[in-house]
Amino acid sequence: MNPPLSRRDVLRRLGFVAGMWWAARAEARDIPGDSVYQLRAQLTDQDGRSFELSSLRGQAVLVSMFYSSCEQVCPMIFETIRLTLLALPVADRERVRVMMISFDPARDSVAVLKATAEAHQCDARWALLRAEDAEVRRIAAVLGVQYRRLASGEFNHSSAIELLDTEGRIAARTGTLGAADPGFVKAVRKALSRQA
Amino acid sequence: MNVARSAGILDAHATRIGLAAMLCAPLLSFGAQPAAGDFGPPRGAPIHAVLTSPPNVPPPVARNRPAKVIVTLEVVEKEMPISEGVTYTFWTFGGTVPGSFIRVRQGDTVEFHLKNHPDNKMPHNIDLHGVTGPGGGAASSFTAPGHESQFTFKALNEGIYVYHCATAPVGMHVANGMYGLMLVEPPRGLPKVDHEYYVMQGDFYTTGKYREKGAQPFDMEKAIDERPTYVLFNGAEGALTGDKAMKAKVNETVRLFVGNGGPNLVSSFHVIGAIFDKVRFEGGTNFQTNVQTTLIPAGGAAIAEFRTRVPGSYVLVDHSIFRAFNKGALAILKVDGEPDKAIYSGKELDSVYLGDRAGANLNAVTRATASSAAGTLSLDDQVHAGQALFAGTCSVCHQGNGAGLPGVFPPLAKSDFLGADTRRAIGVVLHGLSGKVTVNGQEYHSVMPPMTQLNDDEVANILTYVLNSWGNPGGRISIDEVKQQRAAPTAPAKASEH
Amino acid sequence: MALEIVRRATRIVVCAAAACGTAMAADFITVPGGRFASVLPQGPVPTVSVPVEVAAFAMRATPVTAGEFLAFVRAHPEWQRGRAPAIFADRRYLVDWRSPVLLADGGAADRPVINVSWFAARAYCESERARLPTWLEWEYTAAADETRRDARADPQWRRRILSWYERPATTSPPRVGGAPNVFGVSDLHGVVWEWVDDFNALFIAGDSRVQGDPDTAKFCGAGALSVIDRDSYAVLMRIALLSSLSAADTTGSLGFRCVRPGGERP
Repeated sequence: MNPPLSRRDVLRRLGFVAGMWWAARAEARDIPGDSVYQLRAQLTDQDGRSFELSSLRGQAVLVSMFYSSCEQVCPMIFETIRLTLLALPVADRERVRVMMISFDPARDSVAVLKATAEAHQCDARWALLRAEDAEVRRIAAVLGVQYRRLASGEFNHSSAIELLDTEGRIAARTGTLGAADPGFVKAVRKALSRQA
Repeated sequence: MNVARSAGILDAHATRIGLAAMLCAPLLSFGAQPAAGDFGPPRGAPIHAVLTSPPNVPPPVARNRPAKVIVTLEVVEKEMPISEGVTYTFWTFGGTVPGSFIRVRQGDTVEFHLKNHPDNKMPHNIDLHGVTGPGGGAASSFTAPGHESQFTFKALNEGIYVYHCATAPVGMHVANGMYGLMLVEPPRGLPKVDHEYYVMQGDFYTTGKYREKGAQPFDMEKAIDERPTYVLFNGAEGALTGDKAMKAKVNETVRLFVGNGGPNLVSSFHVIGAIFDKVRFEGGTNFQTNVQTTLIPAGGAAIAEFRTRVPGSYVLVDHSIFRAFNKGALAILKVDGEPDKAIYSGKELDSVYLGDRAGANLNAVTRATASSAAGTLSLDDQVHAGQALFAGTCSVCHQGNGAGLPGVFPPLAKSDFLGADTRRAIGVVLHGLSGKVTVNGQEYHSVMPPMTQLNDDEVANILTYVLNSWGNPGGRISIDEVKQQRAAPTAPAKASEH
Repeated sequence: MALEIVRRATRIVVCAAAACGTAMAADFITVPGGRFASVLPQGPVPTVSVPVEVAAFAMRATPVTAGEFLAFVRAHPEWQRGRAPAIFADRRYLVDWRSPVLLADGGAADRPVINVSWFAARAYCESERARLPTWLEWEYTAAADETRRDARADPQWRRRILSWYERPATTSPPRVGGAPNVFGVSDLHGVVWEWVDDFNALFIAGDSRVQGDPDTAKFCGAGALSVIDRDSYAVLMRIALLSSLSAADTTGSLGFRCVRPGGERP
């Protein structure tokens, strides 16, 4: 049980909420035109919570796309991101967030995403996300990812890891898989240095 | 967005749809000779490359350090003449076929911008054979209409290199004129010459026939079958002839950068009347001297140098010669100056060489002989046979047109001497003629020897031909008449009898 | 192949959401489903053409016109030139218009809208409760001529497509409403390029010559893509154009039309 609130507490809390609302309004207005966060996509994370891309605004974000049943390249994407994080100084590592967006909403249910996250030892920095097909196509379009679903249920897709700066703009991209790309790691550090 | 675009396309690189299976990426040189020239990072302020339209070549680089060179090439799709009264929609690098000439120095870092004009319909890209890297830049430069791509490369190898579009269908983009040359100068440049020209061969495929008027569309079937309608230097018939001929003066050095865009044909490049003092064949480092014809593969180039010695028009051809005279592969280098008779005299003699009487042109004689044997010899047979025999025997003196040479050999054309007595002519041929004769009012004192090598048939046919030619009165001389005269014990005709 | 009985296409007239109550309305034509062999491999083996079932859908009879798009941006100002974010529309977005709410001169209202991005095209279709066609739907409908559902083997069909390719886009596209094909759909060829929803699924390499190279480090999933019928280059060139685009890109010869699944009524 919470202790009863004083009138002052209530006002303060209302003010805080109002402030949040105004901040959110300002945020929506100010998102740069070339920001991925212009996209208002309905996503769900591996814990079943609804997720807004722009909720990561203000942080450096690594983003890539995958599907859980992929056996070849997608595990390497997870591994490469892990190596990229490890290549950062300890203090920086914790400040980076990761978004992994599935191509395959039909098979990547919340439960499957949860299992995939556990299999790759993804901690709280990671969000494994699903969205409806039409939404996935839009996210891929914004990220410049090409993919197509094959009759077998597999996906053909381009594989890259992108860095979003604090405003959600694509600041760097790497196609190197299996090892941390030094140029990309440098770009992540640069983005973090601008992070308040 | 630029980051997204270029990287996205790079990712797409591993996808694999296309029409042409050929891989044009330059091979790394290896072997005894060190080829790659990396002279370190670029120094000094970036330089904007001077690009030129064919047949012009940018001035020498004249720089002793590696620089950053910015090259901006715009793709333009446009209708232009391909021949007199014939137009074609060309796809061009820089608005011309071939595309703009690019000149850099070995070791330069080239920042390449490919712009696809907003009015264009097609996506395009560029594969530069002078680039070391996958596709020669093709994947990095894939550009939609109204957009621009950028990539950077270091020009490691010197030489003359073809560039071309590599967007599907590759063959069609090339066939529409999307190729050009890039020269990577050696660090110390090329030896100075008086003239440098840019010539590039290409084969073209139109649905209409050669020189069929109007706007001609591309014909994919002909292209696949390698049956070009046109084979051209610099993208149009007459691009380098007449007023547009390349020019030089006597005793100058000329350097030709000659490329072959293809898409299909290999060029047997030759300059009629010149010998290349030096050819950097295949655009490579080695050279050959004293070359008459050099082979330029599709997607290859050569540097040919020679000194002009004698004035005149020098014709550049693909010596697969029907291409030159029936498909347009002609260009002219006009050399002005004083003739040097010690090297080349000009015409000193113009006379007929009799040669062997056997030959295709004597078919008519054979036919006449057969007709005669069969008893069906017509006037026409006689005239045709006589014409062939006349050319071989009589025209040396009386000339092919029967006009003779005034004062030396009397005319047979409209000859009053002949007309006065056609039968007399049989005796003249059989027995010869000496002494003074007057023909058409002019006196002649030559001797005509008896034509004893001619048989009766032949004499009859020659004279029938003469009587039926050049305004003479006509008529026929029969074999029997000749036979009779030959049998008659007659002395050589005396001119004085006339 | 037996003669096909061509059903007279049903015409469903609907009102564009943005323009209900005005004179603007779009014809959606029911395109019956059928088996179709795409130039892009659809089956499990990437080098073998396997016909696939295309489900019925309803397609706009003509491309979306500039006039229709003007009504859309009036109702949805966030899609006006200068207001659409850069990540959704490049700097040439609607560049041919006189102002964000004024068309170009010269009777542009019934010409196809051009210089539109994929995002804008998608938003438009959503506004009329439709979507962009998939490549397969577009290719299937565009394989027809006036009398046949699949005229692709006819050189004349190919010739007509190519003759448009050969003309640079220096002039405005023609007015919509050309001769309808056997389905009753017009202007699929010879007018504008058209966006498809899965434009970023048509993998064609920036370097089209790289093929048969199973570079699994860059791509996962089954096998390589290739074009099955090398004679289908006329269609391939359209795929090449779409492949060269990013979703925010616009060009002066690129428009779009919308479809509804199953020919459903609004």
